[in-house]
Amino acid sequence: MRSKKILGVLLITASILLSSCSYLGVQNESKYNVWFIAKSQGSEFWNSAFAGANAAKTEYNIDLHITGPETEEQYDRQNNMIDQAVRDGADAIIFSAISYSENAAAIDAAADAGVKIIVIDSDVDSDKVDVRIGTDNVQAGRMTGNAVLDTDDDEICVGIVNFALGTRNGQEREEGLREVLEADPRVTGIYKVNVEATPEAAGIGVQLLLNDHPEIDVLVGLNEMLAVGTARAVDNMNLSDSIRVVGFDTNVECVEFMRHGVVSALIAQNPYAMGYLGVEYAWKVLQGEHFDNDVWIDTSTTIITRKNMFSQESQQALFSFG
Amino acid sequence: MNTVLLLALISTVILVLVSVSVLFMRSYKNSLISNASTNSQRTISQVSNTVNEYLDSIDIDMETLCASLEDPSIDREEFFNVFLNIRPDVVAVSTYDASGNLVNCYSLLGDVRVPLDENTSFDSAKMDMYTDGYISAPHVVSLFEGEYPWVITMTSPLNVEGECWIALDISCTNISSYINDVGIGQRGYCFLLDSDGNIVYHPQQQLIYSDLKSENIELIASLHDGTHVEENVIYSIETLNGSHWRVVGVSFVQELITDSLWELGRIIIFVGLLILIVMAVISFILSKVVSRPIRTFAEEMEQFEQNTADFTYEPVGGVREVRILSESFGHMVKKLQDLMGTIKDEQQNLRKTELRALQAQINPHFLYNTLDSISWMTERGKKDEVVEMVNALATLFRISISKGHELIPIRNEIQHAESYLQIQSYRYKNQFSYEFNVEEDCLDYLCNKITLQPIIENAIYHGINGLVDGGRITITVKSQDDNIVMTVEDNGNGMTDEQIETIMNKDRSDKTGIGIKNVNDRLKIYFGNEYGITIHSELDEGTKVIILMPKVKEASEYEK
Repeated sequence: MRSKKILGVLLITASILLSSCSYLGVQNESKYNVWFIAKSQGSEFWNSAFAGANAAKTEYNIDLHITGPETEEQYDRQNNMIDQAVRDGADAIIFSAISYSENAAAIDAAADAGVKIIVIDSDVDSDKVDVRIGTDNVQAGRMTGNAVLDTDDDEICVGIVNFALGTRNGQEREEGLREVLEADPRVTGIYKVNVEATPEAAGIGVQLLLNDHPEIDVLVGLNEMLAVGTARAVDNMNLSDSIRVVGFDTNVECVEFMRHGVVSALIAQNPYAMGYLGVEYAWKVLQGEHFDNDVWIDTSTTIITRKNMFSQESQQALFSFG
Repeated sequence: MNTVLLLALISTVILVLVSVSVLFMRSYKNSLISNASTNSQRTISQVSNTVNEYLDSIDIDMETLCASLEDPSIDREEFFNVFLNIRPDVVAVSTYDASGNLVNCYSLLGDVRVPLDENTSFDSAKMDMYTDGYISAPHVVSLFEGEYPWVITMTSPLNVEGECWIALDISCTNISSYINDVGIGQRGYCFLLDSDGNIVYHPQQQLIYSDLKSENIELIASLHDGTHVEENVIYSIETLNGSHWRVVGVSFVQELITDSLWELGRIIIFVGLLILIVMAVISFILSKVVSRPIRTFAEEMEQFEQNTADFTYEPVGGVREVRILSESFGHMVKKLQDLMGTIKDEQQNLRKTELRALQAQINPHFLYNTLDSISWMTERGKKDEVVEMVNALATLFRISISKGHELIPIRNEIQHAESYLQIQSYRYKNQFSYEFNVEEDCLDYLCNKITLQPIIENAIYHGINGLVDGGRITITVKSQDDNIVMTVEDNGNGMTDEQIETIMNKDRSDKTGIGIKNVNDRLKIYFGNEYGITIHSELDEGTKVIILMPKVKEASEYEK
């Protein structure tokens, strides 16, 4: 009787140890399949984000598929890409939404299919997102406003060139910008156009604004392509003496315009960090970590002006290394 | 071997394993760290050698460039066209006058922009400090339109009319190829730091620039060349010869340790498992060959305790020791049972003997013979003799009974014998005479009652009776060392050896009174086998009966 009990105790202990042994022996060798769906391809902003994502991909040993539509209007293309990613068996999607509302259904569907969703840069109207990473756009808008107000002029009239109304980050930037501008008595007028996010469309937008409101003396382009287009338009019209341009992001053309005195300030986001952190957090979420999806993981924003553009800090923000 | 003992054993094993592994891990960690430090140091040496060679080659290039620029016969455009094409890592070569203005610039990236609002490749203030030349921290080239490559700038004095300085903008591509693939451990890497604490080249430079990663520059700057272990990070630092650059190797103790820890943990658990299995087998065997037989054995003992007489013992199996124990127990059981039988017999004998002694106290033959004699004496009017007889008879009976005690003082025993002889001498009409030789100091010792009487009776019946001459009986009591020796001697007919044998071994057949055997038995039962009666007899000469007993002062010692 007793020896049977002893034998039982020993067997139980042994089996516990055995199972812990086998637990230790199990190692997850399969790579995660992660899709990175950007708003567009070809801009320096997204190239930098892709570079960051690729750097993290190597570090975290992840299969990364980078894709995105040609222009920042094609949210339906993005939705197709989301579906495709789900069909492809993606473990996670790193997503920057063109449309806050129109991309929501596809993202919800993907999340319901078990895909982890990491939003970077621009938000989507879904509470199934696991992590949100990017610029604090309202704050970036405020920084833009401060750059606009950084002048000795007594009267300031501002023209805003913004992109698609449905894109969340553009709206947030404008919100922050208006908040700062409206608080300053020197601001006599704030006028806005919404155009497609291309330099050409921005040029047309600038012309429209200036036709209607020739008193405008500061133009704001709220993303990389709009900043390039706005600066080009001002330069083409030889209005750089009377109109200052405040832009977003670090397109080399804008840097040149800054050196030539057309652009007075650039709000430099950190797309490399967005790409990198996107992949890093995808990995973390897939490892089972949980994050509060209401709190944005903020990537740094730097304001670059003509004066500080060659400081070590600005160089690092403006020009990607290697 | 019960469950508690087993658990104690298991926890001991686990405790030992854990403490051994903790100790082992500590020394293992130390050896790992020193190992990793050595590796790191070695890697850093190699990197610094390579970077040194690269810097040396740039120094040589610089000398060549200076020589070429100082030689007016050389066509500079053609020369630089060739030079820049074979050295793609050189982004631009520019010369400056004494006040730091750009004089010439040669580059494949195009012409210098006009106006040149900013030049990051030349810093007059630095040149005042480093008159022999200087290597800058990384920066972008601001000389060209639309091109902003990251470079480090190497500046040297130049001895040409109107050109005092030459600056080489060198991209980090070559350095990166030396540094990017350097691995120390799994996640370790190395990077280049200058003496001002600027990172010259880091494999993850963009991560650093994007604030995603940082190095503890302050700490590293405070460390001397060599290997330092700081909070789980091993830093190996080596300053390059003839330069203010330092190669810094970073590797992580944690990753080395945790990996090995898992490995070790697995081994320990495996060993623990093995030990448990071995323990299981051993405990099974032990229980089979030791515990179970001993348990059976204990049960048998208990049974034996409860029922000693009728117990039959079956030996148990098991290991040799248990078997020996079991056999010994078997022998013991047998011996105990035998002993118990003996004791039982002896007890029965003693009872019988005592009963017979009791019977003897009222021997009817003796009594009515004596009464007959008294009657006869009374008829003859021998009043005085009758009184003597009756007194002797009374004494005899009183002492025979002695309140039921078995042991009585020798004094009384002598009195008893005297009374008996008195009575018998009347009956035998003074056919014999008798004599007592008793040592005074023996009188107070104890002896069995009715010891002398049966022997005197024997002397009268077998010795004196029928003698023509007067018989004589001598009774002696003396002390001899720790013993008392009583002798009863007669000068009668004597006995043959067969008669002696019969007297010593057979109860009396007439069943009246006590026999010599009874006396002998009582002496032996009370005092042990070394005591008792010996008879020496010769025919027609007489018989000598010797009674040996110890000096007894307290009856209680023997009566239990």
